[in-house]
Amino acid sequence: MEPITPTRRTMRVAVTVGVLAALIAPVAIDRDSFPLSTYPMYSRARSSESTIFTAQGIAADGARRTLTPTLIGGSDDPLIVVGELRAAVAADRGDERCAAIAERVAQRPALDDVVTIEIVSERHDTVDRTLGNDSLLERSTRAECAVER
Amino acid sequence: MNRIIDAEAPATRLAALRVAVGVFTLVYLLGRSPVFLALADRPPADFDGVGVLRWFDAPIGSSLLTAIVTATIIGGACSIVGWRYRVTSVVFAVGMLLLTTFRGSWGQLLHFENLMVLQLLVLAASPAADAWSLDARRTQHDEATQPAESVRYGWPIAVVGLVTIVTYVIAGIAKLRYGGIDWLGGDTIQNHIAYSAARLDLIGGTPPLLAEFVVRRGWALGAFAAGAVVIELAAPVVLIGHRSRNAWVAAAWLMHIGILLTMSVGFPSPLFGVAFAPFFALERVVPWAAAQWRAIIRQRAAS
Repeated sequence: MEPITPTRRTMRVAVTVGVLAALIAPVAIDRDSFPLSTYPMYSRARSSESTIFTAQGIAADGARRTLTPTLIGGSDDPLIVVGELRAAVAADRGDERCAAIAERVAQRPALDDVVTIEIVSERHDTVDRTLGNDSLLERSTRAECAVER
Repeated sequence: MNRIIDAEAPATRLAALRVAVGVFTLVYLLGRSPVFLALADRPPADFDGVGVLRWFDAPIGSSLLTAIVTATIIGGACSIVGWRYRVTSVVFAVGMLLLTTFRGSWGQLLHFENLMVLQLLVLAASPAADAWSLDARRTQHDEATQPAESVRYGWPIAVVGLVTIVTYVIAGIAKLRYGGIDWLGGDTIQNHIAYSAARLDLIGGTPPLLAEFVVRRGWALGAFAAGAVVIELAAPVVLIGHRSRNAWVAAAWLMHIGILLTMSVGFPSPLFGVAFAPFFALERVVPWAAAQWRAIIRQRAAS
């Protein structure tokens, strides 16, 4: 074991305490940030009823077609896509996002029957949805646009 | 606290941690670089800077973003091989900090990259290239001239481990603080699992593999909820000894597997074991693996 130099040990104590303080600071001031965080993931109470934003394709006969994260948000990460969609609607850019989705859908032969895109917020009983039961409580259309081909 | 401040380890253990964390992070960055670069296409009005970017009114421009991604990749590769480590490790760590902070600056904080970035920042401030590196070869540092174990190498490893431990404890505290004792009842976690599944289903994604299975058995979720909180709050037990360390790491890893299968939410650093790497003598992995390989070769030669 190498000899411990008091000054260096004091420095290590100070730095370690500093690191600890930095990690705990968000908890003390109750403020989440990055990379120092309160790590509140899934900690808050959640009702079984939730409103979820999504975009759907509407066929000429009125049938609704589920799209994909890549079509809706240009990304394969569903969390990012949902967040961006919600932010776009909140910032009153739903029409702009709708048009972007419609442009992507127009390039998909498998979705040739889709004539309209709707950005909607749907309120579901998510437990029923997960169990495969009827779950839709309310639907609200936030933006609508035609698919140009 | 003395176990952390006076921790001793060989230079090769810190070097092995440098390589493990560096390789994982670089591969992660390479895989996610299209996502980082695509941030330049986000509407500037949506930018809401957090962390080190909270003083910025406008997002990082496309050219600068590309430069940061490129510099971070180069810095990462150089720090892994331990070339000009004092500079390249800082480039790597600061680059990852900027990129991940930028990703979380659009109104939605993500929590699966924190540990990775914090580990890099600690390693960048440590002598992690004193062994197993081009720098060591250039300055003719070798294992013969280094002390067998030193607090110079053990303490940084212990601090990286402290970051992991405190992160989990904070996550456990958050559940009780924000969710209250009711969080342990299982209803909250059931609703979170159901919400994740429903959201994925409605956005056209693939619902989590075990979401329906566990939601259908909600009566068991109280035990899972309590288990998760116990695992998180018990993180400091890794400092007690090898058995408690192994048990806790296994439990934490399984918890993350459970989160992945029920919510399709992956925390890459723990899932790939990198979050737990500072708790183990990583420098023994290479000789052990080499010995196993030689044994296999001998066995094949004999048969």
